[in-house]
Amino acid sequence: MEVAERLRLRTAPGPGMPPAFEDLFRREYPRVVAIAHRIVGDADEAEDVAQDVFVSFYRKHPADAHYAAPWLHAAAAHTALNVLRSRARRRTRDAVEALRRDTAVPDPAQAAEAAETRSEVRAALTRLPDRSAALLALRYSGLSYEEIAAALGLRQSSIGTLLRRAEDAFRKEVTT
Amino acid sequence: MSDIEDMLSVPDANVDTERALARLRARVEAERIAPVSRGASGPRRVAVNIWLKGLAAAATVALVATVLTVSGLAETILTIFEPKQIVAVPITVNDLTGASSFATYGTLTWTEQPRPYDVPDLGTAARDSGMTVLIPGNLPAGVGAPKYGVMAKTTATFTFSAEKTRQAAAAQKRTPPPMPANIDGSRLFITGGPAVVTFYDDGSAGATGATSATGATGASPFSGMPRLIVAQGRPPVVQSDGVTVDQLQSYLLQQPGISPQLAAQIRAIKDPSSTLPVPIPVDMATSKKVTVQGVDGIFVGDSTGLGSAVIWQKDGIVYGVAGTLTEQQVLAVANSLH
Repeated sequence: MEVAERLRLRTAPGPGMPPAFEDLFRREYPRVVAIAHRIVGDADEAEDVAQDVFVSFYRKHPADAHYAAPWLHAAAAHTALNVLRSRARRRTRDAVEALRRDTAVPDPAQAAEAAETRSEVRAALTRLPDRSAALLALRYSGLSYEEIAAALGLRQSSIGTLLRRAEDAFRKEVTT
Repeated sequence: MSDIEDMLSVPDANVDTERALARLRARVEAERIAPVSRGASGPRRVAVNIWLKGLAAAATVALVATVLTVSGLAETILTIFEPKQIVAVPITVNDLTGASSFATYGTLTWTEQPRPYDVPDLGTAARDSGMTVLIPGNLPAGVGAPKYGVMAKTTATFTFSAEKTRQAAAAQKRTPPPMPANIDGSRLFITGGPAVVTFYDDGSAGATGATSATGATGASPFSGMPRLIVAQGRPPVVQSDGVTVDQLQSYLLQQPGISPQLAAQIRAIKDPSSTLPVPIPVDMATSKKVTVQGVDGIFVGDSTGLGSAVIWQKDGIVYGVAGTLTEQQVLAVANSLH
């Protein structure tokens, strides 16, 4: 490659979005949002996480990669957990705000209580090992054992056991 | 519903996939994000892409913000940025990904596009660029034959647009401060170049194309670069047809994505109208002041120690030497230019 071509590569604007990527986006976006939503508990924030996940995939991986969907699912869980951890310090205030945005609960006392519960649940998630928290989020977002195994690089036969352990650990964290 | 499902339940989200795709398209366009090309996957390539795109984005932000820190009002077309010195501005990955590109704030129209082209020899490079092209008197062992490229002088006009800014922000679900009325429609006239770039690939047998740094972390901003690059060019000059600079400064430095740290660093530049900010990706590289060719320069080294660069300005020309070389090698090449 000669000098001009190399310089062009470094100065030219990026090409348009490949159709294969748009297809992937349409196919997987709702599920990526659902996984992130389950973790962060806030719909707007979940969509922000999904945007970051797709941008990250777009930069690093071809749209037709065979691992695209599992990669996106795992990235959604891990990115959302990172957001949750960074938010943990101010979690109660955020949770109350998120609840106000997301739901229409007529009773303020009930709303506050629900927000507190949700905040505690999210805090408990951040205290779990990453894999356990991701397992729970993926499972309760509706992924099959096969899809969870592919996303987290685990054997499908071990998902049931690992999930039960994660659930036990989660219950323990919520009640402590 | 199990107790866990109950605890993790969330209200139904109303997901609009097409709107989300439009938002992503706007972001990809605004930040000039390129998709990975097949076979080019991997952390090194990613690091280079982030750095190069970030360099462009941060340079834009830094340049525009710097331009706008000049005090006073321009009644007529006025040169508001003509760098005579350079300064390192530390930036982070968050600065790179958070800040919007120049394209978000208006329309850039090239009157002369940057079109790099190959030239066969040094004489042609000098003639086409109208500059005396300096050559290294000292090359490290293993460096191959030089190849020359010329980028002719480029000019562009940037027109601020409140409407375009609003649309880009809406697509990204951001809420920037409104653009002041007198910025909307005002223009900046930008001139850059000419420039000459000399590439030296690895001279060892079988080497073709770029030589890659192979750091264990893979995070070298120099990976994928030729063994040695020597570049020189006229720095950018910016003129304005009369914008309210104080408003522009506060407007741009308050944009979402520009961290308070970055804004403070840009505000701290003592003589912004004549200082070219060089963004240093602090997550991947370190920088320090050095003396090159008898003037102040900036040395940039990557965290693996495998790539180095030095940048300086002398007699109205910005020079750069970079490569997969050590600090000593790069400085020796830089000081040997004649």
